[in-house]
Amino acid sequence: MIGPRVPTLGRAPATRATTLLALVGAGIVWVALLGPLITLFTQLSVSSVVRALERPGALQPLVVSVLASLVALAVILLLGTPLAYLLARGRLPLPRLWEVGVILPLLTPPLVVGLLLIFMVGPATPIGAALSHLNLTASDTFFALVIAEIYESVPYYVLGAEAAFASVDPELEQAAALLGDRRWRTWRRVTAPLASPGLASALAVTWARAMGAFGAVLIIAYHPFGLPMQIWATLQETGLSSALPYALVLLVVALPLPVAAYLWSARARRRL
Amino acid sequence: MLAADFEVRRRSFPVGLKLHLSAGEKVAVLGRSGAGKTTVLEALAGLLPLSRGQIRLDGALLSSARPRAIVPPGRRGVGLLRQNPGLFPHLSVLDNIRYPEGTTSASAIATAERLGLGALLKARPRTLSGGEAQRAALARVLQIRARLLCLDEPFSSLDRPLGRQLLELVSQELQGSRTAALLVTHQLDEAQAFADRLIVIDRGMMLQVGDPREVVLHPAVAGVVELVGYRGWLRRGRQQMAVHPELAHPLSELSPAPTVSGRVVGARPQGARFELELEAGGGWQGRFHCLVDEPLANGTTLGFGPIGVRVFDDRGQPTDV
Repeated sequence: MIGPRVPTLGRAPATRATTLLALVGAGIVWVALLGPLITLFTQLSVSSVVRALERPGALQPLVVSVLASLVALAVILLLGTPLAYLLARGRLPLPRLWEVGVILPLLTPPLVVGLLLIFMVGPATPIGAALSHLNLTASDTFFALVIAEIYESVPYYVLGAEAAFASVDPELEQAAALLGDRRWRTWRRVTAPLASPGLASALAVTWARAMGAFGAVLIIAYHPFGLPMQIWATLQETGLSSALPYALVLLVVALPLPVAAYLWSARARRRL
Repeated sequence: MLAADFEVRRRSFPVGLKLHLSAGEKVAVLGRSGAGKTTVLEALAGLLPLSRGQIRLDGALLSSARPRAIVPPGRRGVGLLRQNPGLFPHLSVLDNIRYPEGTTSASAIATAERLGLGALLKARPRTLSGGEAQRAALARVLQIRARLLCLDEPFSSLDRPLGRQLLELVSQELQGSRTAALLVTHQLDEAQAFADRLIVIDRGMMLQVGDPREVVLHPAVAGVVELVGYRGWLRRGRQQMAVHPELAHPLSELSPAPTVSGRVVGARPQGARFELELEAGGGWQGRFHCLVDEPLANGTTLGFGPIGVRVFDDRGQPTDV
């Protein structure tokens, strides 16, 4: 019979093969990414973790890390949010220049950032001298740790928040203004709630980066020990197995917030 | 109440408007897309600065070019309903309606129920149909008790019967209130159904202002005729002619000399009637159309005019044949 070719129902075999291939690929990536985490749990025994953490002062690095990261996060949130919003709305002159500034810490190796920070805020510099008038020192102090963490994590927040704000339709902000809202009320009642899933993701990543900051920290804030420095020092002094409990603690503390924030934001996105 | 005389600069051409509205009056601005209709409303709503003139509402200065001043949108007593309803996706219908500061739940619910949204108060905007979303947006803009309500083709994306129904709803809501309304549209029937007065604009210029029927019967310049249902153009020398298929009726043989005559060359049904296609005579080049109740045989010659037949010179000004 001659006639037009009728498309057959059902998926073509080629599609099925592609799907299979994609699944295998995704599986490999998944195992590779989660592999280290799985290894961590297979290499540790409960008793060794308890023993390591029962030593006097063992939890001190945890306290330092959490406090420094909280302060860093607060500063980033306060200074990064308006910048991200203005970038998203294109309200800054020379936007490319601002973006380069934001991305630069991301592209610079953390060790280099640390070195440069010494030359910028170290005790011998004008900024360092000014800080010393405030009884602050930006090397080997808690303050220095916060600075290093900010440098290593701020780009993740600004870029993430910029994307979050860009996803909010400016017409909705205009609608709010037309209904009588002043700018701040619009921000509070329309912009922030609509951007919050993206902001939460950005904050989660930032928290994880701040908690895990190492390169710049190693150079300008060797002391006081946060968790990453504790892991490094323990590794140097007593070897792999005694460093692992700290790695576990770091993961346990650093991960739940990002994971929770991610899950929440995924849900919130689906609802909109 | 509203006294506006202004111009707004745009990339292609400046858009101007000169308009006085009294309380409760309803006016429609008719123009093709890109004519500057939305620009007019955005200037009135305070979203665009003026390059000339000023806008006053109840005596208060809202916008002025010199000195450059502008009362921010939402603080001018001007409401704007757009084609995109712009509902806040994270808020329920009720929370959208009571969004404007100072709105009570009671008044929001009362408006919602009048507009048939009573069962949808808890719904999220994304679950609404186009008509429901526009009704919610209307309910929301009514909460600010604007003295001037600007309607920017709010129902153009809906099908026509539904659009007309919603326009009727707007009229009902405005009935008895002092709120004036300005509807922008490219559909003549919508404009006529809504407005007491019609403004025709093209390329940012007001071409004609008048009674909605009068504008159809006597378009002032060539730019107006196609917007109000005429079809052009027949040409003879420097003259051009447009014929309105619904207004143009075949004359009886006893009538005085017709404005134009034509020989029937075709007929096709339109609605319950027939549209004749005629080859123009008397030196006019081109074909025109008219609506009749019964089809006529090809070759029949008919006379038309002057009603429904307009003649303009090469500068677009009306002339005699």
